[in-house]
Amino acid sequence: MSVSLSARNIVKRYGGVVALSDGNLDVKSGEVVALIGANGSGKSTMSKVINGVVVLDGGQLLLDDKPVRFSSPQAARKMGIATVFQELSLVAKMTVADNIWLTREPLKPNGMIDRKVMREQTEALLDLFSGTFKADLRPETIVSDLHPDEKQIVEILKAISLNPRILILDEATASLDSRQVERLFELVRRWKEEGKAIVFVSHRMEEIFRIADRYSVLRNGKTVGQGDIKEITEKDLIQLMTEKEKVFQFTKAIASEETSGLDQQVYLEVENLTTETLRGISLKVKQGELLGIGGLQGQGQRDLLLALFGDIPYHGTVRIKGEVVRFKHPRQAMDKKLALVPGDRAREGLLYIRSILENFLLPSWRKYGFPLKMKLAKRDAMAISERLSLVMSGLMAPVSSLSGGNAQKVVIGKWLLRDPDCYLLDDPTKGVDVNTKAEFYALLTDLSRQGKSILFYSSDDDELIGLCDRVIVLHDGKIRAELKGASLTKENLIAASMGVSNGGEA
Amino acid sequence: MKRFSWDELMNRYPALFAILLLVVALIINFILQPNMFARDTLNSNMRVFLPMILLAAGQAIVILGGGIDISVGGIVSIVNTILATQVGLNGSPEKMWTYVFVSLGAGILAGAINGFFIAFLRLQPIITTYATSFLYVGFALFILPNPGGGIPAAIANVYRNTTPLGLPLAFYVIAVVLLIWMYVRSTRFGNYLYAVGGNAEAAYETAVPVTWVLFSTYVVSGFMAALAGIAITMLSGSGNAEIGVPMTLTSITAVVIGGTALSGGVGGVAGPVVGAITLGIIQNIISFSRIDTWWETFVKATIIVVALAAPGIINLLRRKKV
Repeated sequence: MSVSLSARNIVKRYGGVVALSDGNLDVKSGEVVALIGANGSGKSTMSKVINGVVVLDGGQLLLDDKPVRFSSPQAARKMGIATVFQELSLVAKMTVADNIWLTREPLKPNGMIDRKVMREQTEALLDLFSGTFKADLRPETIVSDLHPDEKQIVEILKAISLNPRILILDEATASLDSRQVERLFELVRRWKEEGKAIVFVSHRMEEIFRIADRYSVLRNGKTVGQGDIKEITEKDLIQLMTEKEKVFQFTKAIASEETSGLDQQVYLEVENLTTETLRGISLKVKQGELLGIGGLQGQGQRDLLLALFGDIPYHGTVRIKGEVVRFKHPRQAMDKKLALVPGDRAREGLLYIRSILENFLLPSWRKYGFPLKMKLAKRDAMAISERLSLVMSGLMAPVSSLSGGNAQKVVIGKWLLRDPDCYLLDDPTKGVDVNTKAEFYALLTDLSRQGKSILFYSSDDDELIGLCDRVIVLHDGKIRAELKGASLTKENLIAASMGVSNGGEA
Repeated sequence: MKRFSWDELMNRYPALFAILLLVVALIINFILQPNMFARDTLNSNMRVFLPMILLAAGQAIVILGGGIDISVGGIVSIVNTILATQVGLNGSPEKMWTYVFVSLGAGILAGAINGFFIAFLRLQPIITTYATSFLYVGFALFILPNPGGGIPAAIANVYRNTTPLGLPLAFYVIAVVLLIWMYVRSTRFGNYLYAVGGNAEAAYETAVPVTWVLFSTYVVSGFMAALAGIAITMLSGSGNAEIGVPMTLTSITAVVIGGTALSGGVGGVAGPVVGAITLGIIQNIISFSRIDTWWETFVKATIIVVALAAPGIINLLRRKKV
């Protein structure tokens, strides 16, 4: 089943915004093409053009060298193109099986859905990922009860259940842990051998070099480079993506002994913190420390940060500068100068359709009195957006007009205005482009130099190793290992994440 | 291992709240009216409840699909005025049959108009059906400006007094409605309905024919409203262009207490049917307890607020406990 797809000079506009001005992509049977670009470069639009979700305004799509035009996702699907969507295309209140087989339910002769066959088919699909998810992911589980990584797996299975000729993986690995990514790559290799053509959209360089055969780089809606992945280096690729040469180098916050002396005060002390998912967490964070939190997805990292911010109830003791606190509401945590950057920025971190200005000022309106001192507020907001080098059309533009990385800057910016002492970060660089990531790293280092304490959960192991002095690894609601100094290596981090016990000085 | 979760229970048994409420209402009603389970009383109650049951079932389909239909009362009115003016008090059964089919056609047409605006032109359901509700009531007033007319008593009595095997006619109608629903629920269309109501965008990306599913919900609702109009005309025997107007909000109330979320994609039709019966019994209780009728509105309003707030209140209590 040989197949080839070419996109030539694709143009797509949304209202006045040009998302793609000259998008190009070629993919054929038995190869993986990485579609690469910074956030807002048009990657998602490109994949939506190929799978018929959006109708292109210009250019040409050639399927098996014949021009095609998809008016709907159905049309593309009929031609054998399936997509694993970045924004999940699952119906939350329906079961896993219902979601996977939606529109292709096996039917009995009387027109009713054959639930038994559907369950068996679903189980067969789940077997592809067996061992990488918890037992609660079953054909009859309601999707809204699943963790993000499990939802992502369902999304992948849904696409592959179509037995497509061309498979588009749009940021499919963003929510997966390393074991699940490993399994996905095994499957991708198998699919490749079966003659499928695969488009792999990702931010993770390491993954691109592991799985892709060829690359196509987008920058500001234009394809700026295509070629064989073996003939390009990571650095060159990033340079293509970002124009200016900017490869981040991790600078540790506490560079050496000069600042990390014993004189530093313990800022936050947690004893035996227990919630629905956490089973007794104890930790200490010093002033100016950047403490990394690692582990597979959904091991309680989110709960730990939320509990500290007074967002969910907990048992146990929390001390800030020696004083016992018990927050029942995030407002109390904010008053004690804590800040939270939540994991789902669109839903939890931002008022998505409201202006950048409003989002910046949301936690600090009080500061501007009554009636509001709008001039002062605008000036402060402007200063922050300049400090973060926010790319925007103006303070009054809605946050929804920003790219992922810039939207995340707004989440951090709104806290910077309050000048907190402690930042709780829930995977802040997820779905953020390389350029913005580098800026974040610089910002975090800077904050910790100023003596701010930071709890930094990341699903990217390299980040933790590169930025933090100390990383705690959560596994099943407990601290599995504490890694620092020489023991802070990727091998140990992964071993501890997987629950292997010799991962460090626990 | 599994903790009790109201959300989960409601998800699995959407009609739970309605059934609890029904039991309470039945007990109170039984105390006030000990003969309520006697054949005649049961029949006279059920034939009064039936129009609302049909209306609520149709409304439930629309709400499951993520919409709302405020024009159902207007459709009931149109059907009532068509039958009352065209069949007349001296009409023949043949004439009645003819206009029953005309009425059903009118209901489907009215539903199709709603569906066209909402599914194809992507207008907001609440605004569209609010507007068409005036159109439909206005049309009913055009057909029959003043209350009057009607259908022959002999035909009305068929509806009022038929009790095959000793059970009220309404029971059979309800059974048929629920059986059809159970079938539809387990077909592909049933899945589409939940998918569109739950997440229309995801459904679209998965190649569900969203537009047609939406359109069909309004057609079904129009058809069910026409059935309700036929039932209420046979119950009252007379014509009144305003007859359907108060029924719209009651049908929505029935759906809500029946555990079908206004946000769409959660619930079913059985719950709203139970909800409609419950609301009928509450009306009974109020008329038997000889209190002012405005209490009826008050009680209904209280129930809808409690039904909407119950999951939130329970979650709040749980949150405190942890």
